[in-house]
Amino acid sequence: MSYILWFDKAGKEAIGLVGGKNASLGELIKADIPVPPGFSVTTEVYSEFLSGGGLKEKIEEILSRTDLQDVASLENASKVIRQLMAEASLPKRIEEEISSNYQALAQVFDVHDLPVAVRSSATAEDLPGASFAGQQDTFLWVKGSDEVLEKIKLCMSSLFTPRAISYRIKMGFPHEKVLISVGVQKIVDARAAGVMFTLNPTNGDPSKVVIEGNWGLGETVVSGICNPDKFVVDKVIMVIERMVSLKECECIYDPVRGGVIHVDTTPERREIPCIEDQEILELARYAKRIEEYYGCSQDIEWAIDKHNPFPFNIYMVQSRPETVWSQKKKEPVLGKKSAYELLMEKALTRIKISS
Amino acid sequence: MAEKKGFPMPLEVEYPKELEGWEEMYPPMYMFSKDRKEWEEKHFWFHDKIHAPEAMYPLDLIFHEAWQISLSQYTTRVFCIPPAQGIAQRMVGCYMYITPVAPPPPEIIGEKAGLFQKRVFYVFDHYDELWGVWLKKFKALGEEMNNIKVPEEFPKFESDDTVFPEPRGYYTSFDVINAWDKLVDLMIKGWQYHFQYLNLAYLAYLLFADICRKLFPGLSESTIGKLVAGAYVQMFRPEEELCRLARLAAAVPAVSKILKSDIPADKKIESLRKTAEGNDWLVEYEKSKDPWFFVSCGSGWFHYEGSWTTKLEIPFGYLKGDIERIEKGEKIERDVPSIDKARAELAEEYRKLIKTDEDRKSFDDTYRAVRTIYKYAEDHLFWVEHWFHTIWFDKVREFGRLLVKSGMLKGVDDIYLFNRFEVPLIIEDMATTWALGEGVPSRFQYWQTKAEKRKKILDAAKKWNPIPALGTPPEEIAEPFTVMLWGITTEKVQDWLKGMAVVPGEVTELKGFASSAGVVEGKVRVVKHLEEITKIEQGEILVCPTTNPAWAPIFTKIKASITDIGGLTSHAAIVCREYGVPSVTGTGIATNVLKTGDTVKVDGNTGIVKILKRA
Repeated sequence: MSYILWFDKAGKEAIGLVGGKNASLGELIKADIPVPPGFSVTTEVYSEFLSGGGLKEKIEEILSRTDLQDVASLENASKVIRQLMAEASLPKRIEEEISSNYQALAQVFDVHDLPVAVRSSATAEDLPGASFAGQQDTFLWVKGSDEVLEKIKLCMSSLFTPRAISYRIKMGFPHEKVLISVGVQKIVDARAAGVMFTLNPTNGDPSKVVIEGNWGLGETVVSGICNPDKFVVDKVIMVIERMVSLKECECIYDPVRGGVIHVDTTPERREIPCIEDQEILELARYAKRIEEYYGCSQDIEWAIDKHNPFPFNIYMVQSRPETVWSQKKKEPVLGKKSAYELLMEKALTRIKISS
Repeated sequence: MAEKKGFPMPLEVEYPKELEGWEEMYPPMYMFSKDRKEWEEKHFWFHDKIHAPEAMYPLDLIFHEAWQISLSQYTTRVFCIPPAQGIAQRMVGCYMYITPVAPPPPEIIGEKAGLFQKRVFYVFDHYDELWGVWLKKFKALGEEMNNIKVPEEFPKFESDDTVFPEPRGYYTSFDVINAWDKLVDLMIKGWQYHFQYLNLAYLAYLLFADICRKLFPGLSESTIGKLVAGAYVQMFRPEEELCRLARLAAAVPAVSKILKSDIPADKKIESLRKTAEGNDWLVEYEKSKDPWFFVSCGSGWFHYEGSWTTKLEIPFGYLKGDIERIEKGEKIERDVPSIDKARAELAEEYRKLIKTDEDRKSFDDTYRAVRTIYKYAEDHLFWVEHWFHTIWFDKVREFGRLLVKSGMLKGVDDIYLFNRFEVPLIIEDMATTWALGEGVPSRFQYWQTKAEKRKKILDAAKKWNPIPALGTPPEEIAEPFTVMLWGITTEKVQDWLKGMAVVPGEVTELKGFASSAGVVEGKVRVVKHLEEITKIEQGEILVCPTTNPAWAPIFTKIKASITDIGGLTSHAAIVCREYGVPSVTGTGIATNVLKTGDTVKVDGNTGIVKILKRA
């Protein structure tokens, strides 16, 4: 049985075991992209968790007697199922294996309670055409074996949020066919973070990498609650076009409360770019390499570690296929025209001078 | 006038009193007038700072007269670019203004489309062989001009050999009149050839630029320029020949010592003649000289610029610098193969980013077409504006000397104070006076008084700052030169409007075309007149109305260049890209706003110049 698979050991061939998100991390590592280290708790753990203690039958029973069209009863069923899962224990030997791997990860960095991100990674997620993305949970700054185990169970139970249940019904996925894996990954204590696209999402220009970023954790950029800085880099000549925003808030880890909080950005950092030119160019280089590796446009999450010196501070934490333009751009832009047809067209056009 | 929102109408321009009488220097068709007022006011006239940045000497107008006809006829009557018409010219107080003529009626556009398709596609398909034919034809034309014999003087009596065994039947009076007519004819013809393929080259460039922007909406103008620019451009040959001569000299201490010394160039040649090694080197120098040093010290458009054959200090100055750099172990040549390789790699990398095979094919087709024909735009420049014009100026100077010798004019260059229709009058006066015999007065005082008056008018015009544009900005432009060469776009027109209300000291930022990539900071040197070019120091940023390929050697000295006028394929842009020097062209107002010694930041990626510190 493989309950635990480290990211660097499991790429897309292991998607059934580690889920889409974790498999894509494995692929990034194969492509020599810096990814914070960590491991997947496989779908086999999930299967054993459900089959042990009769959880599976109980869930099926609850679902079968619920009117799933009714919002209130769906919510109630979800609550009951998730409660059941939280109270149930993982099999002892699995708990031990997870703990010892967590400790091994902590030891790499010589830290006792290494803060990690615990993220769900569903097997149907991120597949083109079935966008489950964002429907599962992420927990940041998880410390210590006990908390890691607890959050793993919470991630697994995220398959039974009301939204996930009704989505599966709508899409015709049987509940028992969707399995879930969980990723346990060293957290990047980010000075700045964000997303980037291997084309310009505004106009589909495939010769550009567009990077968006803010101070602190990437959360503010992903959720769109703050205006990020935007950098457009030409993939060939590697020239940067900068649009620096007024950045009023950021997301950071609060050691006192032990959680992630939103704070006002200190005034002196509001109007300066959150990443330096050399970091922008390095990110763009990684974006190009990732796109080339996958052979299609990508939507990538990145973070810059506070503690490491450049270039060892740059990490990719996620990559998935870009969906909007990739679908659209199968058609030729120039309409299958020869140079002469295009010339004729051009010769007949006037250049508008608008006033 | 400053309060008004638009540009003034042509007849509303107010001239300084000192310019009084300027109109008589130029042909009447060049005047704005009440009889054409309605048509003229509907058009948009802008000062042609590319080809005529300075006050115009009447005889130098000949090139413009020639191109107005030639450029326009290829568009309207020969290759028939459907919605485009010609470019018309006018003079405004010694400065030349031009306008793209409004599009023709729809039925004409339709008729032209058929002709365009038939004729233009033919040229594109046969361009390689056509270029060879063109060059041969053009060189023959230049030789013909070079062979025109201008008599050195009117003889007291015609010689015996013009009478025996058979009287020739025509004599010096005819020779002189005929030589002038022939010279003018050949100049007009040369300019007919000049535009033979240029409209098509620019059209191909515009097409390729369009396609690039459809495939890569954010692709910068400077990158498109880089993709098209050829490395093997004949305009760079003069400089390559200098490098060759510098290498030869550096290997022979006896020669390099003389060339590095501070004596005048003619003294250097004299000293070289005294030794065997020196003579060997001079043989090589002569080999390079024709045609490659028939290159203007400026743009080739003004008689006073001089050429490398008349202003020897210029090439010999470059030679001195090159030899010194060779001795320091520096490389002086452009690395042409690697420039070409870099361009090919750049194209390949963008090509790889194209998503579909169909688009890749359209891109390949168009790229091949533009790369083939665009060479014309780059190569004709040396042969016409430099080689051919240098021959012209040499010949006109021979006429100037004859007129001085005959007492018609005071200075050799005074001939340039008369337009091409007036010069034959002076020549006829001179020939008639000679024919009439002894003791017959010519009207030399009339000509000389006119010359003095015109000198004063031109001096006053040089101090006058003409407004950038007149008339009504157009809604659309279909004329490829207007966009390509002069860079007339919506933004440009708007900037000019803004620029008219600008107080130079208050400007903090200039905008222009991102013509050559790269960002640098440094001190500027404003060069409004060509003579000031020698003042440029290492590492300065050149600010000028427009630059010329003949200035090429200074591009190894400067950090960046900023011009008032010029699109992406203006001469300045081409040279800067070749030298990897950041450049912002077409700012409209740089020479007005910047002063030598100001510190600026030039961003050749975005086309923005920031003024950091005033001198």
